Formats: sequence, C-alpha cells, structure tokens
Amino acid sequence: MSAAVTIAWRLLRGGGRRGLIGAGLTLAAVAVSTAFLMFTVAVNVAFEHRADREAWRNPVPADAARAVAVQGVRRDFFQGRMITVAEVAALRPGVAPPPGAARFPAPGEAWLSPALAALVRETPPDRLGGRFPNVAGTLAGETLVHPGELVAVLGRAPDDPALAPGRGGDGVAPTPVADFTGRHGADAVAYQSLALVAGVLMVVPLLVFSGAAARLTVARRDQRLAALRLVGATPGQVVGMTVVEAILLALAGAVAGVAGYLAMTPLLARITVAGGTWFVADLWPGVLITFGVLLAVPLLVGASAVLGLRRVVVSPLGVARRETPPGMRVLRVVAFLAVVGAFPVLGRGNAGVVVVAVALALPFLAVNLVGPWVVALIGRVMAGTARRPAWLLAGRRLVDDPRSAWRTVGGVALTGFVAGFVGLLSPSAGLLGDAPADRLRLGVPAAQAATVQAGAERRLRAAGVPARVTVTGTGDRRLVEVTPEPAATPGSTGGSPREGSPEVLERARTALDGLVPGRGASTPAEDDLPGMLLLGDIRTGTVVVLAVSLLVATTSAGITAASSVLDRRQTYALLRLAGTPLSVLDRARRSETLVPLVVMGGGSVATGMFCALPFVYAGLNVTGVLALGVCVVGGFAGVVGAGALSSPLLRSVTANPGPRPD
Amino acid sequence: MTEGVVLEGRGLVKRFGRTVALDGVDLAVRGGEAVAIMGPSGSGKSTLLHCLAGIMRPDAGEVTLLGRRVDGMRERERSALRRSRFGFVFQFGQLLPELPAEENVALPLMLGGVPRARAVQQARTWFGPLGLGGMEGQRPGELSGGQAQRVAIARALVTGPSVVFADEPTGALDQATGHDTMHTLVTAAAHNGASLVVVTHDPQVARWCHRVVEVRDGRLLPGHTPSPEFSGGGAR
Repeated sequence: MSAAVTIAWRLLRGGGRRGLIGAGLTLAAVAVSTAFLMFTVAVNVAFEHRADREAWRNPVPADAARAVAVQGVRRDFFQGRMITVAEVAALRPGVAPPPGAARFPAPGEAWLSPALAALVRETPPDRLGGRFPNVAGTLAGETLVHPGELVAVLGRAPDDPALAPGRGGDGVAPTPVADFTGRHGADAVAYQSLALVAGVLMVVPLLVFSGAAARLTVARRDQRLAALRLVGATPGQVVGMTVVEAILLALAGAVAGVAGYLAMTPLLARITVAGGTWFVADLWPGVLITFGVLLAVPLLVGASAVLGLRRVVVSPLGVARRETPPGMRVLRVVAFLAVVGAFPVLGRGNAGVVVVAVALALPFLAVNLVGPWVVALIGRVMAGTARRPAWLLAGRRLVDDPRSAWRTVGGVALTGFVAGFVGLLSPSAGLLGDAPADRLRLGVPAAQAATVQAGAERRLRAAGVPARVTVTGTGDRRLVEVTPEPAATPGSTGGSPREGSPEVLERARTALDGLVPGRGASTPAEDDLPGMLLLGDIRTGTVVVLAVSLLVATTSAGITAASSVLDRRQTYALLRLAGTPLSVLDRARRSETLVPLVVMGGGSVATGMFCALPFVYAGLNVTGVLALGVCVVGGFAGVVGAGALSSPLLRSVTANPGPRPD
Repeated sequence: MTEGVVLEGRGLVKRFGRTVALDGVDLAVRGGEAVAIMGPSGSGKSTLLHCLAGIMRPDAGEVTLLGRRVDGMRERERSALRRSRFGFVFQFGQLLPELPAEENVALPLMLGGVPRARAVQQARTWFGPLGLGGMEGQRPGELSGGQAQRVAIARALVTGPSVVFADEPTGALDQATGHDTMHTLVTAAAHNGASLVVVTHDPQVARWCHRVVEVRDGRLLPGHTPSPEFSGGGAR
C-alpha cells in the first residue's frame, strides 16, 4: 500500500501545469460542495437549537401533585413586531426560574429580553413601557429564539385572572407545569420539517457534484493508470493509487470547504428566518457532524473514483482501445418509473416528515439514474437525423459517453426537479389576504362584551386617545374593536383610516393592556403575522434552495465542460489541424450539452411537479411560477455561460497542435 | 510526378523562444511527387511540415500552394485550405473514437458542405479498394492499428486534396503493417494525383518516396535519395 501511496503522490505532483489545474478544479469542486453540505446540515441543527431554546414556552401539563408553577404564553405586538409574553406564577416557594431569568419573577415583575428592554427604554412609556411597569431584569440569550427576539416573562400571583384555568385566546392557555423544559412547538416543528425537506433537495445535487468531481480526477488519470496496468500493476494497486489520490484531493477540498463555511458563518447568521437572525453558535453543527462530513466526503469521492476506474481495472486496454459502448440498461427506466409511480403512495396522507423526506430523495436519485439512459437515447436520435457535422459529432458523442454528458447537465436538470417541486408547493403571498392594520381587536365572551367595551372607552379617554369602540360578531365570542379616529391621528393628513399612525395605535394598545386578563389587543394583520412569517420564510427557503442548487449545478457544468475539453484535447487539436473550423467544434459541444439539457431539464421539472402534487392545496401561484421561470432561465444561461467559458480553453488547446520544435 | 511545383516553401524560419526550429529552409514539391522529410528528433522536420501545411505561420519566408501565398492567409482561410486542398495522416489519434469508420471518412466532405447521405455514400467507395470492405460500421477502437491508418488514409484523400501530409504514419505500427500502410498511402495518393509529404525518421518509410530530404538543426541538407521501393501505381 505504501508503494501505491508513493506513486499516487508522484502522479499528483508530476501532473504538470494542466494536471495541477485539473487537480485544482477537483479540489475546488469538493470544497464548494463540502461548504454547502455543511450549510445544509448546519441549518437543520440550527433549527433544532432554536426549537430547544423555545421549548419551555410550550409547557407539558403536569398533574396537581407534581405541578410547581402555572405558565401561560400569549402574543403581544409593537409596531408590527411580535412580543412573546410568558406569564408565570410559582405554586410553592423555591421553584426554579424560567430559562434566562436569574430568579423566579415575583408577581407584577417583568423580565425582558435585551431587545425588548432596549425598545422599552427608547419608546415613550405610554406606547410600550406602560405594559411592563416593573422591569426587574434582563433575560439571558439561552431563552431566545434569535438575538433580536422580543420576549417578556411576567410574574403573576397563582390566583391572577390572567392565569385562570380555561383562559382562551391565542398562544398557550395557562398550564400547570412541573418544570420549564417543555416540548418543541408546532411552528418550530414546521420549520424543522421544511429545513429537512430543503436539506434533502440540496444534499442530492451536492453529493452528485462531489461524485462528478471525483470522476473528473479519474478521467484525467485513466490513460496513465491503464499504462500502469500494462506494465504489470495489479488491479488492487491501481485501485489503491486512484483511491489514495482522490481521497487526498477530496480531504484537502473538504477541509477547505469546512474552513470556508466557518468563515462564512457570521454572514450567514445575518439571514433572517422566522422574524430574526441567528446566533453564530447556532450555525456550528458540532464536532461530531463536522468530522462526519470530513470523513464522508473523501470516502464518497474515493468510492466514485473506484466506480469510474472499473473499466481500467477490468482490462489494461480498456481505456486505450475505445470500443462500441454497451447500451444503457432499460432497467434504469423501469426503476425510474417504479419510484415515481410509488411516490404519491409514499407521500400521501399522514406520512411522517422523515418518510416524506426519504420518499422525496428517491425520485431525485431516480432522475439521476435515468438521466444517462435518456441522454444516450437523445444521442441516437441526433446521430440518426444529423445532416450537419456539428449535430452528428454531438449525437455520436452522447451515444459514446452518455454518463459524461449527463455529468455536465445533470446538476441543472436536478435543479429543475427542485424547481418543479417547490414551484408547486411555494405558497402564494396573497394566501392569507391583506388584513387591515388600522384597528385593534380583543376577543371576549359575549357576556363580557359590553363591560369590556365600556372599560375600553374609559381607558382610552383617560389616555387621551380618541377612538371608536364597537362590538362585532355573533355567537358565544365577540370582538371588541378599537379604531383610532383619523382626525386625531398626528401625521395622518386626511388619508384613509388605514394609514393611521402606528404611535396612536400603540398608545391605544398600551392603554388597553390588562383590560382582558391574559390577552392583549392586536390588529387583524398582526393576527396573521406568524402565518405570514412562515409563508415568507418558505418563499425565502425556496429562493435559497434554488440559488444554491443552481450555483452548484452551474459550477459543476463549468468544471465538467472544462475538464471535457482537457480530456479530448488531442482529438480536438487534430480535428482543427485537419481544417475543422473552431465554430463547428464549439457548435458540437454546445449541442451535446443543450439538447439533453432541454429534454432532461423539462423532464425533471415535470417529475418534480408530479411529486409535489400530493402536497398541493392552494394551486399554482405567482411566486412558484416565477421561481420556476427564474430557475429555467438561470439554469439554461448558466450552462450556456459555463460552456462559453471553456471556449477560450478549447481555442488554447487547439491553437498549437504541434508545439514541439521537432 | 509529371506536373510543375504544387507546394513551395522559401526561406522558412521558425523559432520557439531561443530554439531555432527552421533556419531558412527552401523546399518545393511537384505535382504527384512523394517527398520524405527525414531527420533526428528535434531537427525541425515536423515544424517544416506544419509550416508547409498552413498549421503554423513561419516567422520569415513564404509558403505557396499553386502559386498562392498560404502564410499570409488568415486562420479561417488557412483552415478552409487545409480542409479542402490538404489531407492529413498522423501517427495515431486522428480518428474520432465515437464515429463509425465511414463517418470518420465522410466528415471532411460534410465539413465542406456535402449532404450527409452523399458524403457517407462517397466515403464507402474507399473501403473496398483499401482492403477495408465490411468495416464501414466499425468504430476506431474495433479496428487494428493498420486498419485504422487505412481509414485515416481514406479520410485524407476523400476530398481530392492536392497534397497529403503524413507525420510518422507508421510510427505506431509493426514493420509488416507499416510496410502495407506505406504501400497503401503512396499508391492511393499517386492514383488520385495528390502529392505526398511524409515526415519520418525511419529510412524504410522514406524509401517509399521519390525523394528524401534531410533536416538537421533547422537546415535542409542536400542529398536526394531515389527510393528503390517506390513503385508508383494506384491502389484504387
């Protein structure tokens, strides 16, 4: 084995300038995919961290014997931002405080998150501070979902009406708890699920990309390794050398990728998700996962290298003698159809998110499996119908090595799958409508509506906020609606009532605070805010997944195109030497990329849309169609651009076919 | 070898950095003539072929084909000239591995605008006379070295070129196959009225030509050796 390592090291070092460029390209490809892989894994871990920190706000009910405290959680708002208000009461002395608080808040005390504390300091008390008259301390970061989160923990007496059993409204009803550990909330689980699906959608192209990078190493080396076989190297030695070389390169690439990712984390932490940015520490996936990535990437690359070498190992002449390639097996198509056909069954109904994620990965891999078969079929059609040399060259090349052609376009085609999938799923911005933001509402039982209305009018008068107070709704629940009068709204110069000043609205809200125990007033728009945040984040996620996939795919296409030119430089040079115009060679290269891209890209989009069908509940929407369109145009432009970038390389390798002075 | 000068290089100079590959070479090739350019490795013989074939521009001197300056042409014109008026046979690697033999031969015709069906039909007519009958659909990887060289010869001649350039055409073949290949090359070129310029370091190959010129340190040495093995005649 040591001989294999020595020779592999010599081959790597002795590859000359072109060899070094090739090795550099492979290293860069592995580095880029490792960095994105780290990001993909870290995002899932980061959501887990957020969910863990937020869990105490979703209390697990305890029976009366074990209960040590009562906890209720509700939402409050300030100028369109959500404030999470946890109200807690100790049922016995010496109860451990909620996370982030130095001690258990006494009745009437408020503990605020740093961002909320700053906001209270900077805002006139009648707009915000009045809601938290007795601030006792600042909550530590361990209780916050994100650094800028607005959280208040309010101390209550056990018999405070705000914590009365059965209090309705939004958030979490007062619950007796044995401790403040809790469980993951519904929103957190939704985000984790979406992150997992996004992860699956991104990981597959990344793995395919890493594999392609490894095969490039082999493609460059195969002639040399075949020569080694001819001089008597055993298959084991040849495999050893290749694997060592590929793993050395991949390890260097993976280390560079991890370093690159870590360097990027302060920037990545500034991406806003679920209403806030990230703690940088959230994006560190941990030592174990990092070592796992550093181990898995080189192993995967090594495995791909072995697969790519199979022909050389079988026969020393396997590379030197180009024979009619074996046809791609129809089994690939059967497997593809079986997987895609089974997907709606797997993804239907109440299948768990992990099952759906796995089920989603399967058709993704199936597209990758059927790709080369379709490429070979396209090649046969092109070669059969070609009238011009470029078309004929492209067709024959596709038939000759469909896997290589697929490596160039596969990434972008797989992105088509992602675009098709999320294009159908991406929710429309107008799904929740455009709720008004100019009036506050308080939900109350019908029997209390008149009392609350009178109380509201009294409080608003006392606070000097002219407003109209009405009661709407029928049945057991009523809404007490408070609309600040436009005429009295400073800064609102005769506009529509919807343009009412946020300051007046906050004064009204602060005046109404505590009127209905355990419940704050909110505008209809604010009631939709969590849903709007989730929808917005899904759209952001869609853009991120598509952007990453496209970037990876385009980079992959560029590297493969350049490597393909280098691999075939002798043939290209001799063709040009014999008078073949460069434009014909370029046209042939373009055709052998674009034709499969159009066919397979379209097919992948269709497959992605088909797989999304079981989950569609709102029909197509503008965002989805836009994302699809951008992806199709971007992918096409990316591959054309990547191909065009290797044109100068083609010119360079064919410019001087006889450089030796002989 | 009955016509006047077809291809001529005068005062050709070519440098690669500080290495002088050609140092004022004059060479004229007459119609139907087979000329062997010999010399040791690094003597400049391949550079001379590349300058004569319009692959490379000489730093000084001029190249003419049928009285027309080649060295002053733009790359696009030289490329068209190589496609239509010249044919090439190399040591190895000149056939496209993806294309069946007949399409390899038809390719120069298609590049010249001949429709595919006609180009392939025309290409097929070369297979029988060159001893390649039945191999039209074979791919280069399925042919022996000698067979592949004969396909390359058919491809070099299919457009009816004025001059065929061969760079070490038997370099990768054993002696017997090399002998056959040279026989095919020389007779087919002669039969089609094409001049032949062969670069070789092998005296056995050079003996197939009418005339042998020797390049040493970028200069042409006098001494024209008649070839006892040259038999003229046609392969087709």
